Amino acid sequence: MTQERKIKVLLSKLGVDVHWRGVVTVARMLRDAGMEVVYIGNANPPEIIEAAIQEGADVVGVSTLCGAELSLGSELIDLAKQKGLTDNSLLLIGGVFPRSHTLKLKEFGFDGVFEPGATREEIVSLIKNAIEGKEAVK
Amino acid sequence: MLEQEKTTKQILEEREEELKRERIPLYSPEALKVIEEELGKWKKTRFREDQLRNWELVTSNVLGSEIPKKLLYTPVDASELDYVKDIGFSGQEPFTRGIHPNMYRGRFATLRPLGGGGVSAGHTEDQNTRFKVQIENGATGLNVAYADLSLLQLCGSDDPRMEGQVGLIAYPIDSVDDTHIAFKDIPIDKISASYIGHYPTNCTVGFAQYLVMAEERGIPWDKLPSSMQNDVVMENAVRAGMDYLPTKDVFRIQCDNAEFVRKNVPQCNFVTLNGYNLREFGTSGVTEIAVAFANAIDMLKEFQRRGLDPGWMAERIAFFWSIGNDFFDEVARLRAARRLWYKIIKYQFGSNNPRAMWSRMAAQTSGVALRREEPYNNIARAALQSLACILGGVQSFHTDSYDEAYSHPTAIASLIALRTQEIIECEAGVREVVDPLGGSFYIEALTNEYERKILDELDEIQHQGGIVAIIESGWLRRKVVEFLNREQKLIEDGKIKIVGYNCYKTDEKLPGIEEVKYAEGVREKQLEKIKKLKDMRDNEKVREALDELIKACRNGGNVMEYCVKAARVRATTQETFGAIKEAFGLWKPPLSY
Repeated sequence: MTQERKIKVLLSKLGVDVHWRGVVTVARMLRDAGMEVVYIGNANPPEIIEAAIQEGADVVGVSTLCGAELSLGSELIDLAKQKGLTDNSLLLIGGVFPRSHTLKLKEFGFDGVFEPGATREEIVSLIKNAIEGKEAVK
Repeated sequence: MLEQEKTTKQILEEREEELKRERIPLYSPEALKVIEEELGKWKKTRFREDQLRNWELVTSNVLGSEIPKKLLYTPVDASELDYVKDIGFSGQEPFTRGIHPNMYRGRFATLRPLGGGGVSAGHTEDQNTRFKVQIENGATGLNVAYADLSLLQLCGSDDPRMEGQVGLIAYPIDSVDDTHIAFKDIPIDKISASYIGHYPTNCTVGFAQYLVMAEERGIPWDKLPSSMQNDVVMENAVRAGMDYLPTKDVFRIQCDNAEFVRKNVPQCNFVTLNGYNLREFGTSGVTEIAVAFANAIDMLKEFQRRGLDPGWMAERIAFFWSIGNDFFDEVARLRAARRLWYKIIKYQFGSNNPRAMWSRMAAQTSGVALRREEPYNNIARAALQSLACILGGVQSFHTDSYDEAYSHPTAIASLIALRTQEIIECEAGVREVVDPLGGSFYIEALTNEYERKILDELDEIQHQGGIVAIIESGWLRRKVVEFLNREQKLIEDGKIKIVGYNCYKTDEKLPGIEEVKYAEGVREKQLEKIKKLKDMRDNEKVREALDELIKACRNGGNVMEYCVKAARVRATTQETFGAIKEAFGLWKPPLSY
């Protein structure tokens, strides 16, 4: 079993958004939960996907508060699918966006969409359960 | 040790030692003795052991105070007060009660809405419409958000990285032509425009365009009431970005902007040191002020080095504070900041210029205190924070809209925010009396405590080498991260209570809120405009102006002066930022979390 292996998370600000309180908070939460976190700062979808592949990330989490969640979010998912990243990795997005966008982001294929107020437990357990699920399939 | 090398705390402590003998205590020793005896008896006879053990409690709220609070305050808690020296009268030293004698009877605080008036982001043309609606609704100052994502990232709409991200949070400005569009028919010589180019690099490019626009409309620069942020902390510590310039160069641009504007645009506040965003990112109310003061002090020292009178320069320094939930702390903090700033100007810089001693303050209610759950509750939160702004004696304030945990404000939410301010102005009966909480034993004790704490933290910063050093070393960023993680834990543990989130929750569905609609095709339109502009202008002149700008950056000419020249010949925003980046090179900030 690979249960002892640390879950590796790649976090990024999606696009050129300037706010990073949220992503920094989540980075610490995941580290506290025993995961290995790599935060790469601001990046556009192609850079994020490339970094995720290079790092061999189990989880790719992006944060945005500026309104570009739909355009960049769908680009990110499309690229992840093209590169086969969605088979083995989780894709998560969090930030400030309207509720209708939350639904759309789920439709795009994000494994988790976190609005403001999402709790540590929600985020950590979603990751752990989903990773266990993926490992079990293997 | 040279006077220059002493920290602010050392200078003020020496000064206070000298002044000690001249102090006239507000409370007589006899009175204090009796109060202390009675206090002791009262505590002994009226309280249980466990109540006494918990005599001092720390209030627990978002962006709250870390100062333990007693059950009750008496003159004993502010026993050293000298009325005239510590509290005094509004409009005179030590300015604790306010910077203007007549305070709000003369003129209420400027109401500066950020949103409202149609869509709050999108096409440059929409900004013009929005300004007009805001003025119609009673706004007495305009917030000019030079804050489209492109501008915040030190580039123009035509930067390839901006695809799909133009016009989302503000309006693009890609050349002077866009500035003309945004300000068409706005009387910029009559209404003060707060130019929210947060960053020095962004002000040097954007405010130069604003000045050229005024020039081309025939409005002399000395007729422009305005202010800008121009703050290195915002650019290199608070902002998450792609391109960063080295911190010392950004600080130099900040000082260049200040010098140029002070000399050429005398009615403009050339910096509004932004504690707000630093605190909202995650710092205490103490750090917020200590960092801004450290920046101001380093700037004044740099002006001295350039041969400029610090008293004359300080006339146009302003501050921008975040006002959080801890009501009395917020009021006390503002009072403490005014008194400490006065001492800095008078004793560290030896200026007796009262305008320099004025710590002029803009404030905004806290954004991170707003919740997504039960969003209408945010109206009450913002109203309480707004009241604290006024009781704290600010010069201008902005009330957040209730829907900011969803998107940037819708028109109706912005209007309610403005109306909240107007209700405080007209209906609450709080503008008639100056500093109404002054003299409260609690408020005075808290004010003293805040002044001490801010000075201590300022000392810590200065021992590390000042504002540039704490950004470069990552100290400031680590401090932020520690603060916000501690706060997050307190919220999760339920120690910080948030109504509708971790207490007093309801399953009942509250009505959903209207969502803002994003404008479409903004970048495409800008690209077209930029292409046309490049066809029309004299490209040779532009190249020359940009080369001159690069030279000025490298050889020590005033950066803003050369940005004005570049703006006149229609260098684009992207080109101007590009020249500055080329001249200084890029810096990689620490990304610790």
